[in-house]
Amino acid sequence: MTKRLLQGNQAIALAAVKAGLDFFAGYPITPASEILHELVNQKTIKVLQMEDEIASINTIIGASLAGAKSMTATSGPGFSLMQESIGHAHMMEVPLVIVNVQRVGPSTGMPTFPAQGDILQCKYGSHGDYFPIVFYPNSVAELYEYTFNAFNAAEESLSPVIILSDSYVGHLYETIEEADYPISKRTLAPLGTSNRHFTGLTHEGSIPETSDPEVHKKLMKHFKTKQKKVSRKYKGYEYIENKSSDILLIAYGALSRAAYDLKEDFAIYRPVRIFPIVEKLRDIAKKYKEIVVMEMNAGQYVNEVEGLLHRQVKRISIMGGKIDLNEISTKLRRIKKKK
Amino acid sequence: MTKELTYLNYLKQDRLPHQWCPGCGNGIILKLSCLAMEKLNFPKKGTVMVSGIGCSGRSAGFFDLDSVHTAHGRALPVAEGIKLANEELNVMVISGDGDLFGIGGNHLLHASRRNTDITVICISNAIYGMTGGQCSPTTEISSKTLTTPRGNVDTPVNVQAIVTAHNCFYARSTTYHFNHAMKCIFEALQHKGFSFVEIKSQCITNDGRRRGFKNSYEMLMSYKENYKINNSTNELEHNEIGIIK
Repeated sequence: MTKRLLQGNQAIALAAVKAGLDFFAGYPITPASEILHELVNQKTIKVLQMEDEIASINTIIGASLAGAKSMTATSGPGFSLMQESIGHAHMMEVPLVIVNVQRVGPSTGMPTFPAQGDILQCKYGSHGDYFPIVFYPNSVAELYEYTFNAFNAAEESLSPVIILSDSYVGHLYETIEEADYPISKRTLAPLGTSNRHFTGLTHEGSIPETSDPEVHKKLMKHFKTKQKKVSRKYKGYEYIENKSSDILLIAYGALSRAAYDLKEDFAIYRPVRIFPIVEKLRDIAKKYKEIVVMEMNAGQYVNEVEGLLHRQVKRISIMGGKIDLNEISTKLRRIKKKK
Repeated sequence: MTKELTYLNYLKQDRLPHQWCPGCGNGIILKLSCLAMEKLNFPKKGTVMVSGIGCSGRSAGFFDLDSVHTAHGRALPVAEGIKLANEELNVMVISGDGDLFGIGGNHLLHASRRNTDITVICISNAIYGMTGGQCSPTTEISSKTLTTPRGNVDTPVNVQAIVTAHNCFYARSTTYHFNHAMKCIFEALQHKGFSFVEIKSQCITNDGRRRGFKNSYEMLMSYKENYKINNSTNELEHNEIGIIK
């Protein structure tokens, strides 16, 4: 195992190649471009710079169906453009990896500043119901490891898997060990070997069926079961117990790194598998009187946590891309006082 | 003795008859594609059909090949991904004018610029048929549709100019000129690089009947009257059909 100083974005690119990446298509965007820059220098894979993010995701859908392990990387604006096709890939059961290095939005926002505004977009961004697997690592080493997990989960679930990052974690330099992780083999036969029909219409096997509710129900159930089964293998979370505190602080990504500084005063829980939400949190939360979700958006994951725990959860929003421990402490003190 | 219709081998016969309206041009183009593939002896394994959304989008599902029915406008990037991931495959796209020039127009510009080795067959009926008959990017000026009740005011897209600007194969034909249209597809499939065949096709249900045609036969006859074959030119006039390599 070799030790290496790597940037977060670079780690994703290098891990992807090791995890079997064959095909990458992307469009330049701050703060995700370094992934594209790193990959164009890799000789074993095919890399395309497309005309936009819509073309990027559709090209990797085609490539993946043709037998190539495929990935794209973008940030919020590009991720929004990809939404329709993400739903399409779920419907056609195409294994893909999509990296979203988040920046402050909406719209062009603050391109170089970190944010966590795309959490719900991962789950609800495309129309209709679908059941994605989403990871959000918070260090370079973890990005490296979870890129393998993402590729494996994509192959196992035959669906697009999302790696979330943010401009802080993506641009962070850390020394990591380039470990080898197990790789899941492709089970989907490539195009050109049979007479299957892949369609975004509701379908039963290769036959589109657009007027039978039972067929649609069956398809949705199949998607949900698949996600549940595969995600069971990837139970990523971090829990720092604190018996002297009755408050559990939940944070992820860039912001969770700041939360570590508060572990003397609070218990800390950090989900790595963002969706489907890790159910273990139910047991952990029982030990604490107050649950606080701290995130760099106006309150997104907090709703998912409330939905899981069926109890009121406090929220702290850190907006504008600046992570300031004083601001966090002040907000936490206010919550403590109100209690 | 009846002649065996061997081109039907390229279709999933248990899915026939297709669901398109009587008089629709899509079936003609389905047959043309099969005939051209048969003439070239395309193997069924090793050939992939891609389509977009709309009436034409349902074409891909009828072929007895691996096929992909993409999101609206995205047939070209999906087809490019397939071809670039496995260059051994024959990749064909069948889609409509709204799909390829409207919502997917940007991809046409770039797929032809990249000269990706795929063949695109455009069923160009100058209307959004599936959604009820709205104006499309190829609707003629002053033509009346659901969304242009007083006549279309916008110039139809110049596909020939876009495709030939990047020195790609462009051919235009109509569903009336059956043999000519097949020649166009036949040559396009043999072309190395991006090839585009635009076949003018009739939609009687949501276009023709609103423009005074009694049936699709009359629409086909109008193609006969309006289009002249010209196979020796570098630029087709608007009333000419032919091949530009």
